Amino acid sequence: MSGRVVLVTGGTRGIGLATAVALAGDGFHVVAVARRRSEAFAAASAGVSGGSLHFIPCDLGELDRLQQLVQTIRREHGPLYGLVANAAIGTPGLLATMPDAEIGRLVHLNTLSPMLLTKYAMRGMMAAGAGRIVTIASIIAFTGYNALSVYAATKASMIGFTRSLAREAGRLGVTVNAVAPGFVETEMTESMDEAQRERVAARSALRRLVAPEDVASAVAYLVSDKARNITGTVMTVDAGSTA
Amino acid sequence: MSLRATLIDEIETITRDQGKAMPPLTDELVLIDTEFDSLCFALLVARMEDRFGIDPFSTLEIADLPVTLGDLIALYDRSSLAGAA
Repeated sequence: MSGRVVLVTGGTRGIGLATAVALAGDGFHVVAVARRRSEAFAAASAGVSGGSLHFIPCDLGELDRLQQLVQTIRREHGPLYGLVANAAIGTPGLLATMPDAEIGRLVHLNTLSPMLLTKYAMRGMMAAGAGRIVTIASIIAFTGYNALSVYAATKASMIGFTRSLAREAGRLGVTVNAVAPGFVETEMTESMDEAQRERVAARSALRRLVAPEDVASAVAYLVSDKARNITGTVMTVDAGSTA
Repeated sequence: MSLRATLIDEIETITRDQGKAMPPLTDELVLIDTEFDSLCFALLVARMEDRFGIDPFSTLEIADLPVTLGDLIALYDRSSLAGAA
């Protein structure tokens, strides 16, 4: 059980880092992939007990490198048991004035890249007859928020992808689920001012924002053996924002 | 085990695991006319990449998709040679 390899994209910051730490704590051999290692990641990897935490640099926007990335992980760390497709950008902007290239970049990094990475990462799981895929969506996939329409579309695409892929992968012993966080305090949401944060918190049933660790716990559960009969679902972690 | 032998071995394993009945595996066999469905095909591609590190389907055009078992073996042979070059 311990030592099974899980790939976490965007695993050096925010939700990805919290997830990598939680999975390593549960005994997994976690490989975090991002463009660069962060100080927070270095500190966290030194303090891990149970499993282990490793880093491979990769720009996930370079789509023709994704198959090679999966092969490298297999060669250097062993066959992949799990994938947490977390890496994403959250560029805000009113659609009417958003540069076309920025819209393209959001779709490229938040939709196309995780789909292709999942394609290659899933193959080893198919061959082994077991595995876990968790995608990170957002409550904005099913509730509206001003100036996030393109981001919302990319996150909604992950939910559609997750549900249908669960049908394909189920026959092979692989589960596919999504986690939809509410507003989480990370670098991605740091552009929000204090008043915006308070408004978001006030709208939630629990009157607070979600921490990266809350999302990480949900992901870790879906990766664990306890979630063996859960697939094709979306777990919302939003302190009751959408309740 | 040669690439051809491995491919045939994998097809036999997958069809047995998936409960599919297959005619004799000759080079002329048209795969689409058999019970070797899309899931079997996906499993075959996954296992071949697992064993040989080659995947001829990632960059293939639809028009070049293999029709017979012989086409499929030739496709893997070409991909293996390209990888070794």
